[in-house]
Amino acid sequence: MKKLKLAIIVWLLASACGVHARPSIEELKSRAVLDDYESNVVYGYDIVMETNKYARRYTGSTLACTSCHLKGGTQPNGFALNVAGLYPKWRSKNGVRNGLGLRIRDCFLYSLNGIMPPEESAEVQAVAAYVHYLSEGQAIGKAPEGYSVPTLPETGSDPDPARGQAVFKRACTACHGADGHGTAAAPPLWGINSYNAGAGTHNVAKLAGFVWANMPVGQERSLSHQEALDVAAFIYIQHRPFDPREGRLKKLAEKIYRSIWGGDQTKSSGK
Amino acid sequence: MSVGKAQGDAEQRGRRHALLREALPNFAWYKRVDLRRELFSGFAGAVLVIPQAITFAYLTGVPPEYGLYCAMFVGFFASLLGSSVLVGGPNTAVSILIGMTVIPFAGRGSPLFIEFVFALSLLVGLIQLVIWLLRGADLFRYFSPAAIVGIKVGVGLLLIASGVEGAVGMSPFFTYFAYEKFYLAAAAWRDSANLCAVATSVATILSGLLLRKRWPRAYVILGLLVGALVGAGIYGVLGPVDSQLELLGHLRVAALPLTMPMLAPPQLLFLEHTFFSALAIAVLGLAQTLVIARDLKASVDPNVDLHKETFAQGVANALAPFFSTFAGSGSFNRTSVALEMGARTPLSGLIAALAVLLIAWALEPVMTFLPMAAIAGVMVLVGIGMIQNNDFRLLRSRVEAAVFGITLLAVFFLGLEVGIFVGVLVSIGFLVASISKVGLSISRQSEEERIAITGNLFYASLDRLAKHLRSNPRERTVLDLSKVAYCDAAARGTIEKIRTEREQQGGRLEIIGGQ
Repeated sequence: MKKLKLAIIVWLLASACGVHARPSIEELKSRAVLDDYESNVVYGYDIVMETNKYARRYTGSTLACTSCHLKGGTQPNGFALNVAGLYPKWRSKNGVRNGLGLRIRDCFLYSLNGIMPPEESAEVQAVAAYVHYLSEGQAIGKAPEGYSVPTLPETGSDPDPARGQAVFKRACTACHGADGHGTAAAPPLWGINSYNAGAGTHNVAKLAGFVWANMPVGQERSLSHQEALDVAAFIYIQHRPFDPREGRLKKLAEKIYRSIWGGDQTKSSGK
Repeated sequence: MSVGKAQGDAEQRGRRHALLREALPNFAWYKRVDLRRELFSGFAGAVLVIPQAITFAYLTGVPPEYGLYCAMFVGFFASLLGSSVLVGGPNTAVSILIGMTVIPFAGRGSPLFIEFVFALSLLVGLIQLVIWLLRGADLFRYFSPAAIVGIKVGVGLLLIASGVEGAVGMSPFFTYFAYEKFYLAAAAWRDSANLCAVATSVATILSGLLLRKRWPRAYVILGLLVGALVGAGIYGVLGPVDSQLELLGHLRVAALPLTMPMLAPPQLLFLEHTFFSALAIAVLGLAQTLVIARDLKASVDPNVDLHKETFAQGVANALAPFFSTFAGSGSFNRTSVALEMGARTPLSGLIAALAVLLIAWALEPVMTFLPMAAIAGVMVLVGIGMIQNNDFRLLRSRVEAAVFGITLLAVFFLGLEVGIFVGVLVSIGFLVASISKVGLSISRQSEEERIAITGNLFYASLDRLAKHLRSNPRERTVLDLSKVAYCDAAARGTIEKIRTEREQQGGRLEIIGGQ
């Protein structure tokens, strides 16, 4: 009798461990029936890979999540998405404590140059489920291995867009096109179909780290730190959609307000 | 024998012909078309249905385009096969019920969820076709006009309640009773009301109500325009982050979104689990369609065929999943707007279906930035219109007022799905009560008692008469049945029995008139 009990306990433990092995997305897709969480994970994966097909409602560019979160967010040092354990956290970007939902909504607004989906929208919930799925096994509250992108060390020389243009012509035009507006193989780096000036990658240091660790595809880390910084500066100075926090109507309204009620003269003098 | 058989065959053939006539589109209405009116009301219906379709798609849990497809294709087929101005398309209660049925089986809005919605819609359509073959529409002949007014007022109140969260910019919340939404919104006001959303929705509602006197046919659209402009101004000045205004977003509407609904083992398993929900949705959707058809038959066009509308709705819903959308039903508010604008034939519904596509294409860039608060404001406006546009003179009689009151309370407190059945039951109840009222006028001439009867004599109304006749078995009575409209076998049998009883005991019962 005791042996039977022991066998049952061992079997239960084994099956419990078996349940926790993370199935791949392909495996999930081949299953006949998915539970709510799993079907949401698959939907989130589809959104991340083909944002313009599955989350068209809220996007405003031709980028997909996977344009920056490489390989569907599974590439270390390529804005990997296994970060669910880090949220909620305070971010200087909006000055409030961000839950995972708000963080995802921010991506829609800035990086995808779209409109902000509501917190309870199916798209945000699905992407959140996918981020949780990728984060399985990570320590809560601790940055995972290969978090975000590497920070490049000081090179002793400022980033130079002119040198960056030469690097761009040599290493980037094959995939991103001569005008940087993207091709079938790679997303646009600037122009109206790219991320806007409020996005996280609209930052020379961050973009340089991303470029150095992940570009050009197939020859990662072949650029020097200085070359990565230069090309990031070149991309930074190109035209792209404006930061939605700095709308034109807002500027106009501020101007009208100041012209009627006065206000901070040093700002309006246009120095 | 052979004559009877031939007769039976002919009868059967006639019945089959009648079914065929209901199943084929009938364009006899083309002679009555006033093209300008139908065109205007069609476009107005399209403008009205777009915000509703998006909201109802949200209630179902699918992307907004699917709601527009519902307006386009369910509306199109319902009008094509139907015989009246009745406007079909996405519907609040049907949408909510579909969403509630599917949500335990798949993630809201996920592809699997959408497959289940399609499978469920197909089943709902097929069930409605079975109801058509079983002549289910006959039940709705008894729906009293007072109950319809009660349902309309109740739906108006429900529409207003459904706009509450959107109007104050809160996340949708679930409540058992619609009126609770007002309490919840008031309680959470300080923490979670979004003043930008409130300003937008209030601008929509107030401008709509103010412009209503001047432009009674277009006030809903004008209100939406004013609300959209106010919202766009707020959004532009404060920006998306500070205003937190929720926008509609891009709609990708295809002209022919053909799909093949999946019926693999998971879908079939799902349908097996949800068969009774599908039955409830089918009956509820049909009930709403037929209540409107019944209303139209009474007030606008006596040629409206309830069976034909049943068939049209069933086919439209069964075809819905093949056009990437979900089941719908007739719409009270859009039908009443179409009537107000002068539409009298199914043409306005056909035009509205096409106009949805044209408007979605032409206005896509503008509609992307339409604030959801303005759409919520439109819901409130339509709700107010539905309450006010009724003929309340109907309710002067005490019985009608009771039917109205009971139906209204049931709709508002128990929901539309229960309210419609309560309306049917109450209507039938009062109908039975009124037809089983039998008038006995008793007069005496020397030895003889004379009873003249008015009304219907049948098993339910017989009691009083039988009791009276049996109380005095030796009496000599003359029973005047000449004013009886209907006398069934049970009543005849009972009277015959009483006559033999009397003869045995020395009394007499003489019957004049009747058969």
